[in-house]
Amino acid sequence: MNEAAPGFSDEQLAKARSGDTAALGSLIQAHQRSVYSLALRMLGTRELAEDLTQEVFMQLNGSLKSMASNTHLQFWLRKVTTYRAIDQLRRRSRIEMTPLDDEAPLVSTADGGDPLLQRHLQRLLLELSPPARAVLLLRYQEDLDPIDIARTLDMPINTVKSHLKRSLEILRQRTPHPERSRCEDQST
Amino acid sequence: MSEDLESRLRAALRPVAPGDEFTRNLIARVTKDQGPEANARGARGRSSKPSAWWLSASMAASLLIAAGVQHHLQERRETQRGLEARRQVIEALRVTSQKLNLAYEVIKSESSPPADDEPGV
Amino acid sequence: MRNHSLRLFFALLAPTLALAAPNPRLVLPEFSALAKKATESVTITLDAALLGMAGRFLNGDDPQDAATKEILKGLQGIYIRSYTFDKDAAYQQADIDEVRNQLSAPGWNRLVQTRSRKSQANVDIYIMVANNQATGLALIASEPRQFTIVNIVGAIDLDKLHKLEGQFGVPKLDIDVPKAPAPNKK
Repeated sequence: MNEAAPGFSDEQLAKARSGDTAALGSLIQAHQRSVYSLALRMLGTRELAEDLTQEVFMQLNGSLKSMASNTHLQFWLRKVTTYRAIDQLRRRSRIEMTPLDDEAPLVSTADGGDPLLQRHLQRLLLELSPPARAVLLLRYQEDLDPIDIARTLDMPINTVKSHLKRSLEILRQRTPHPERSRCEDQST
Repeated sequence: MSEDLESRLRAALRPVAPGDEFTRNLIARVTKDQGPEANARGARGRSSKPSAWWLSASMAASLLIAAGVQHHLQERRETQRGLEARRQVIEALRVTSQKLNLAYEVIKSESSPPADDEPGV
Repeated sequence: MRNHSLRLFFALLAPTLALAAPNPRLVLPEFSALAKKATESVTITLDAALLGMAGRFLNGDDPQDAATKEILKGLQGIYIRSYTFDKDAAYQQADIDEVRNQLSAPGWNRLVQTRSRKSQANVDIYIMVANNQATGLALIASEPRQFTIVNIVGAIDLDKLHKLEGQFGVPKLDIDVPKAPAPNKK
C-alpha cells in the first residue's frame, strides 16, 4: 500500500488540480515517502515527521492550482518541507521537543546495508546543523545536484559545497574503509 | 573510495515509508479538505440512537483507553526528552571541540618555524 | 542572647560568603537581534537535570558514548551560543563584551589567548579553579563570520577532555590546571 505510485504523470496532476480526489490520493502516494523521509531525518522523530508531512500536504492542497508540472511540484515539496523543518529546529532554544525516536531509524536498514555506516550516518545527521543536514539529505536522499540544492534552500552554491565537503569528511573519518582496514592488517 | 562512500550514503538514505495507517489518514484528511464532494467515508446507515447502556459502556472504555494512551504517551515523551538531551550534549561537545581545535591550529601555526628563511634548510 | 548573636552574625555573613564564592555560570544574553541576522544559530542550555537525563541515554558499550558519559560526570551545566553570518563584520566585539566582562571577575583565569592575523580568528579560554580543581570553563571564539561562546559549569576533567582526541576532533592542548588561582589574574 505504501509503495510510491510509479510514474505520477502531469496528466494526473492536472486532474488533481481540478479537484479529482482519486488523483489527489495518487499524488500523495507518489510523493509522501520523499516528504516523510525528509521530515523524519530533519526532525528526528516519527511523531514530528508525521505532523510536518501532514502540514505540507495540507498546504499543498491550497497551492495545488499553481503547480505547473510535476517538476515544479517536487521542487515545491522539497522546499517547503526543508524550510519548515529548519524553521522548527531554529525556533527551539531549550530542549522540550525535537526528541529522537529510537524506534524509527533515520537511515535505511533494509537490503543488508552497511550497519556501521548507518550508525555513523545516523549520529552525523543528528550532529549537523539544520541547514547542513538539509543539504546532505537533498543530495543523497533526493539526488539533487548542488545547483538545485542551492535553489531549493536559497543558499549560495559555495555554502552548499562546503556543507557537503565537511559532512563527507566527517563521515569518512568515522567510517573505516574496508580496503584501508585490509591494508592496515597486512602491514602489522 | 569517495564514489563508494557516496553510493553507500545513497543506499542508506533511500526514502522510507510512513505507516499504512498514517497514509490512509493523510489521504482522507487532505481529500476531505478539498470539499464536501470529496468526502467518501460512505454512509453507514446509522438511523437509530444508541441505548444509554451502550453509551456508558463505550464512554467507560474510552476513558480507560485514554488513560492507557496517556501513560504510554507520557513514557514516550520522557524517552524522547532523554534522547534529545543526548543529542544536544553531543552537539555541545562537538562545538566545544571545534573551537578548541581552532585555538590549537592558531597556536600551532604561530609557533611553527618560519619557512624558507634559514640557509641550508 | 549569645545564640541569638551568633545566628545574627552568620545571617549577616552568609550573603558575603555567597558574594565571595565565584560563580562559574555566565549570564549569556539572548542575542535576539543577532540571531535574526544569523544564517545559523546554535543555542544549547543544558542544566544538571538535563545532563543527568542525557547520561541515562548514553550507551556505555559505544566508545564515543562512554567517553561522553565520562566527561559529563561532575558537570552541572553546558551553555552554548553560536552564530554564523553570511558576511564579515555582521557582529561587533561590543556584542560579546557583556560576556567578556564577566570573565574579569575574581575566580576566572585566562589559560589561552590566541590571535591569528591570517584567519582573523581569536580564541580565549578561561578556567575557574577551586581547591585545585577546575569548576568552570569559558571559551569565546570570534571569527569574521561567526562567534561562539561556550560555558561549562562543574568539575571539568581536562584529562578526559584530552582523551576525547579523535572522537570529536579534540586536540591535545597541553593545558594544565593551575595549582592555585592568583587573585585578579588576567
